[in-house]
Amino acid sequence: MRPISRFMLPALYAAGLFLALPAARAADDADEAALSLADAAPELKQQSRPWRLAAEGALGRSRQRYGVNDFNIGRLSLDGYLDALLTPGFRLVLADRIDRYYQSGDNGDSTVNTLKEAYVSWHPEGIAIFDAGRINVRNGAAFGYNPTDFFRSGAIRSVVSIDPNSLRENRLGTVMLRGQVLLPGGSVTVIAAPKLAERPNDAAFSPDVGATNHRDRWMITASTRYSEAFNPQFLIFGGKGQPAQGGLNLSALLNQSTVGYVEWAGGSGSSLYDDAVGTGGNQKFRQRVATGLTYTTASKLSLTAEYEYNGAGMNRGQWARLGPAALDNYARYRLQVQDLQELPTRSSVFLFASWQDAMVPHLDLRAFIRYNTNDQSRLNWIEARYHLPHADVSVQMQHNAGNAFTEYGALPERQMLQGVVTYFF
Amino acid sequence: MTYHRVFFSILFLLVAASARCAPNAQAILAASDAIRNPGKPFGLTVTLIEYRSGKQTDTNSLAIYSRAESGNGQFSSLMRFMTPTRDAGKLMLKNGNDLWFYDPNSKATIRLSPQQRLLGQAANGDVVTVNLAKDYKAEIGGEEDMVDGERQNHHCYKLELTAANPDVTYHSLEMWVDQTSNRPIKARFYTESKRLLKTVYYRRYQKALGVERPTETVIIDGLDPQWVTVMRYADHAWRDVPEAWLQRDYLPRFQPE
Repeated sequence: MRPISRFMLPALYAAGLFLALPAARAADDADEAALSLADAAPELKQQSRPWRLAAEGALGRSRQRYGVNDFNIGRLSLDGYLDALLTPGFRLVLADRIDRYYQSGDNGDSTVNTLKEAYVSWHPEGIAIFDAGRINVRNGAAFGYNPTDFFRSGAIRSVVSIDPNSLRENRLGTVMLRGQVLLPGGSVTVIAAPKLAERPNDAAFSPDVGATNHRDRWMITASTRYSEAFNPQFLIFGGKGQPAQGGLNLSALLNQSTVGYVEWAGGSGSSLYDDAVGTGGNQKFRQRVATGLTYTTASKLSLTAEYEYNGAGMNRGQWARLGPAALDNYARYRLQVQDLQELPTRSSVFLFASWQDAMVPHLDLRAFIRYNTNDQSRLNWIEARYHLPHADVSVQMQHNAGNAFTEYGALPERQMLQGVVTYFF
Repeated sequence: MTYHRVFFSILFLLVAASARCAPNAQAILAASDAIRNPGKPFGLTVTLIEYRSGKQTDTNSLAIYSRAESGNGQFSSLMRFMTPTRDAGKLMLKNGNDLWFYDPNSKATIRLSPQQRLLGQAANGDVVTVNLAKDYKAEIGGEEDMVDGERQNHHCYKLELTAANPDVTYHSLEMWVDQTSNRPIKARFYTESKRLLKTVYYRRYQKALGVERPTETVIIDGLDPQWVTVMRYADHAWRDVPEAWLQRDYLPRFQPE
């Protein structure tokens, strides 16, 4: 091969320059266009405010099983939140939601008010903070099932969507005294929630303290940040008539796009079935676990796979026999499980996908499947949500599939489709 | 012998002088960090205006409190969404790669991966203060005249930055720093395969917390140059940010002034 003549070198440099120049010029032009946009960007004055208010309207149709007529559903809701600084060191927090349901057929209309939170918070100089009132305390690293969310039982008055986020948002807090000490790299919280009423109250505007405060309960939470990757939370929860339960929340960054988590609760107790039908049953150590991974792609698609285990739930054989053998007990058990937001059987799988700006800016797609591994029934849910500057428009579809007496196959509602508009004031 | 001694003495002095004059890339990077980042705990507000194909498509604003960690010197930040109203009150805590998101509606505090972006084009790490000198190894790539975001010419050091820590958001950067003032002028962010992720201009220098600092950055997407985000910083103030605030369990309590 002949070496390149030194006379050819300038020509090659010139050719390279000739080829590179248009690309560099294009980049410069793009930068100039972007900077011109920035020059003209409006001056926006932003101020935070202590309140939020949202109004929501929903219209849809529910398809039923068991020969029951399908019916239309409608809902109007108002959701307000206030977090006001009363005096230096004192905050007032109020959160309330009112849902007005309209249903065709024999279902009639109804109104449900949910007093989610109403408490005062005192933060004196120093490391301690004290709160008193109705507080929505929620713990848990998992997405579909939260064994350490110990104050969830009885908290849901009005189900506007079975989206796990909605179930967490639209629920009653528990009346309690709470103290928290914040230290560098750690925190300890102590909660005392007294009994204030015997039983729940279904009246539309009742604060319904009986739903959340029908027995004395307490909880201690501690967390320590050992490192960026390791920041566990430990819990101990107990109450009158209930042995103490331990809990652990642990999440870790596995790589730049994956988070893994484990949520565990365990302690002595009877089975959910024995509790539901009042047979007492044997007390033994039972564990509940939810563990999973969330992987996020560069295109803002997050995928979560979660395994859920409830050691107090029924095993496959018990669950399969219960419905056909004892319909009353089956119904009682299901109501109890629903009230406690528990899994009826030993294990489930929860798959969740959330795609922000899905192909179109401001369009979010979210979907999940709850699959009961003990009876092979499943719940499918999908939502498309478009964000406007002050409103969200969404369409949600839900489908319950499975055989008779299974977790989802037994539900009267086979399918539900609804459109929802939320306006943010 | 005497000539030799004189010759070597002169040579030694020349080498010493040239060593003293040789620009230290890491020191330049640290000096440019100091212009972007106040040296004490502080607070500010950030407004992000996003454009696609010349049309404004999104606006977000956040209140941010930051402080440098005593251990590694890197910043930890608390961010509270102010607008849009649907997101108002949501919070994010960033301690390096330790990212937590708190939603006051669901009371859920969840760990995020750096890949999970909450703000359109901007990575979570773009919004908050970062000391690049702590995470990147810098080398001088040359001296160049560079036009800044306000079309002014600057004679700059071109710094070539390579991640010293595998956990950082960007694998490598090119950064142009004004030779006389150490002001960052422009930066290009790359993936490991040297694909351009974004170009950033630091501009609108104004006095904030005692120093002339950039109050606006313009981010241009590497793949789609018509995707542009303008980030504006305002309301700079020294703030007391105790270390105890920079943890997951403080998120529900955080109330920016």
